[in-house]
Amino acid sequence: MAEEFNTEGMLDVYLFENEQLLEQLQEIVLDQKDAECFDQDSINEIFRAMHTIKGSSGIMMFDNITAISHKLEDVFYYLRESHPEHVPHLQLVEHVLEVADFITSEMDKIRNGSTADGNPESIIKELDKFLDMIKKGVKAEGEELPPENVHVEPQQFYIAPVATDASRFYKVYITFSPETVMANIHAYKVVYAMKEIAEDLLYSPEDIISDEESADVIMKEGFRILLQAQCTEKEIRDLIGIGYDIKKVDIYECKAEEFLRGFDFGEQGPQIDLESSVEVIEAKAEKESEPKQAEKPKMAPGDFVIQSKEPGKPKKLAKDKSKNEKAAFISVNVNKMDQLMDLIGELVISQSVVLQNPDLKVPGLNLSNFNKAAAQMAKISTDLQNVIMSMRMMPLTNLFQKMNRIVFDVSRKLGKEIEFEMVGEHTEVDKNIIENISDPLMHLVRNAVDHGIETDAERAESGKTEKGKVTLSARTEAGKVWISVSDNGKGLDRAKILAKAKSQGLLEDGKPESSYTDKEVYRFITLPGFSTNEQVTEYSGRGVGMDVVIQNIQAIGGVLEIESTPGFGSTMTLKIPLTLAIIDGIVMETGTSSFVVETGVIKSFISVKEDMMIHEPNGEEYVMIRGECYPVLRLGEWYGLKDYQRSVDKGMMLIFEVEGKTICLFVDRLIGKQEIVVKPIPSYIKKVKGLSGCTQLGDGSIALILDPVGLIE
Amino acid sequence: MEEISEVKGQAAQDRDASDEHDTSKGKYMTFKSGSEYYGLEIQYVDEIRCFQAITPIPETEDYIKGLINLRGKIIPVIDVRLRFKQEPFEYNDRTCIIVVIVKSTMVGLIVEKIAEVVEIQKENILPPPTIGRTGKVQNKYVYGIGKVGGTVKLLLDADKLLNDVNTAAAEQTNETNLNEE
Repeated sequence: MAEEFNTEGMLDVYLFENEQLLEQLQEIVLDQKDAECFDQDSINEIFRAMHTIKGSSGIMMFDNITAISHKLEDVFYYLRESHPEHVPHLQLVEHVLEVADFITSEMDKIRNGSTADGNPESIIKELDKFLDMIKKGVKAEGEELPPENVHVEPQQFYIAPVATDASRFYKVYITFSPETVMANIHAYKVVYAMKEIAEDLLYSPEDIISDEESADVIMKEGFRILLQAQCTEKEIRDLIGIGYDIKKVDIYECKAEEFLRGFDFGEQGPQIDLESSVEVIEAKAEKESEPKQAEKPKMAPGDFVIQSKEPGKPKKLAKDKSKNEKAAFISVNVNKMDQLMDLIGELVISQSVVLQNPDLKVPGLNLSNFNKAAAQMAKISTDLQNVIMSMRMMPLTNLFQKMNRIVFDVSRKLGKEIEFEMVGEHTEVDKNIIENISDPLMHLVRNAVDHGIETDAERAESGKTEKGKVTLSARTEAGKVWISVSDNGKGLDRAKILAKAKSQGLLEDGKPESSYTDKEVYRFITLPGFSTNEQVTEYSGRGVGMDVVIQNIQAIGGVLEIESTPGFGSTMTLKIPLTLAIIDGIVMETGTSSFVVETGVIKSFISVKEDMMIHEPNGEEYVMIRGECYPVLRLGEWYGLKDYQRSVDKGMMLIFEVEGKTICLFVDRLIGKQEIVVKPIPSYIKKVKGLSGCTQLGDGSIALILDPVGLIE
Repeated sequence: MEEISEVKGQAAQDRDASDEHDTSKGKYMTFKSGSEYYGLEIQYVDEIRCFQAITPIPETEDYIKGLINLRGKIIPVIDVRLRFKQEPFEYNDRTCIIVVIVKSTMVGLIVEKIAEVVEIQKENILPPPTIGRTGKVQNKYVYGIGKVGGTVKLLLDADKLLNDVNTAAAEQTNETNLNEE
């Protein structure tokens, strides 16, 4: 290839853009999957997305992606231009999703450095069939078939010459090999390469970006370029290069007059200066989906005829979609965000070092001005902290959309008719958390569809009239996000779970089955290798899943709650912290070390007397508080610290409640409540049970963050 | 898959870094621990700090003294004498912390006294004598003996100094950390 396309940087942009386009595409499709047909906006949107993907894939030479997006684009082109009736909507939705999946998987391959070698043939065939079908559907109605991808405008871009004496004029004819796909894109590459050297450039067929037909024209007649440049024939040849796609390049030098005469048409198109030429072409391509009349006045009359219908209104407005306000976004490297976050954390700490500096404590200082300035600074740094936190917050919308897709796929495959409802998808959560709950949530949703909801026949049998329904809801409560997945299916089968638990030897000896609370019973399903489903399905039933869910949720400090009513469905609720980065904590001291515990898990602080303690002979201790007995853990003893408070009377008891278990933690003294920035313990140090991280306190010293779950274990 | 390539990338980076530090080749940061002087290739050394308060971490090896706060970064520190299974020493105002970066792990080394930066030519570095010393534990951290004038510096293998026997264990915790994140 002549011009070295820097594919490294381009590849990143390509993947990033396409990923966004595909996400957007899926959102649109799923949004309207229950409608009768796509509305005009969505059709345009999908068309545009496919068009962009096709174009960029062509440039990047991923032929299979190009081919498949081209096909889907065709389908939507047809839909857009001829508004056929009786389009099997669900089938169409499936086709679109299939194509999106194919492209996604190819992009994954590309990202991992392997070649995108998936074969799109079968999907393309399906799409062809589908296109034929909807076309016939229209014919049957007696409507006129609109011509496909019309407008062959013999329009040219004429670039104002900046002729100098040294300029030479060339006619370049390029013939592509007969098997070339998307010759117009290849032609565009040549034009793009030439733009570098050209003082003036003219080519035919002209509209190679937005016009599909141009590919055929190029194949038949070759691609012609008129070039004015200060270079030799050899240089041009080098620039074009003879790749696998170009069969022959003929270059003739000509005179200026000949050049000005243009191609054999002898006419001149609108004038466009060199600087904007490529942009204009691109802009045109984008504009394509807009009403065509917009560009018509620019052309000389009679240059081409638009045969397509007016885009007009959709026949059936699928859904009244409120137009989202377009906000301006930039994408920022997450590392930079983290860095900013760290810096702000440090700023807050160094601020408190300054404001609480011992030098200020000298008696007799007049600090009123200082205090004013300090208050102002504190306000700004708090604002700064809030802003950076809000920057990390993202709505759950995308994640929920993904679940929508899963419900759709799984329910179709299982032949269950399931409605999906989302509530509160705009709830904002830290980006880290979203990444961490994606997998667990997927498991829960799959379980709900696969196990929770009965088959249609079963539903009819049990007299349920309403459709199966899965509700995904999110809300913030008590500083946590509650995400629940509920279904109106059969609920958990207590007897079955108990029987299974018994066969796996999970029940305690001598404890009657009836004495297990529902909560205890449901907890069994979260154990590894536990599944009551007799049959392993594609989606679930292998007994892995729920234990992974629990593990992932616990890793980010969340809990899972299971509720279920037999015959009426079950609800799984994830309660997870809003953010991992900053927690509200109680700072305490034992010996010379400081510790922090998340405020949420602490039930109460109590100072106890020695006579409330119960000592077991094996060294275990309990404390009686208000008639209840709690196990006691002495932090100093547990970690083998020096100089910790041994006398119960002088220390402080913290009562923790985690996952239904309660323990007392004995520490020397409490320091206070504080917002702390969580930092991981360096990985060089092996994991210590009961510690989940560390943080910097106001005086720059380090406190360890206790992990209550680890302590209870 | 990603993990592997990341590790590879890191290795490449490390190599690049060492190439970059060509000028610092052959230079060693020397410090005193016990009765001997040790040398550490200067490319590993990030900075030297005076002794500061250390937050102990429970349930770790005795030579890991705890964590220090390095301008907002929290890094572990190890006591070089304890690492060499020598007698512990009292920390005083001569005590220093050498912050080293080895394979992108940042660790502080507590040493009794910083000496100087010396240049040792390759021909002046001898392999450590093995006869009679094989029983000694410290030998495994010393990859060579550098002669500087009339004195001798024990040259340390920074990588082994930080992670020797428990490399596997450390990697494992790393992995679990990754999984959890």
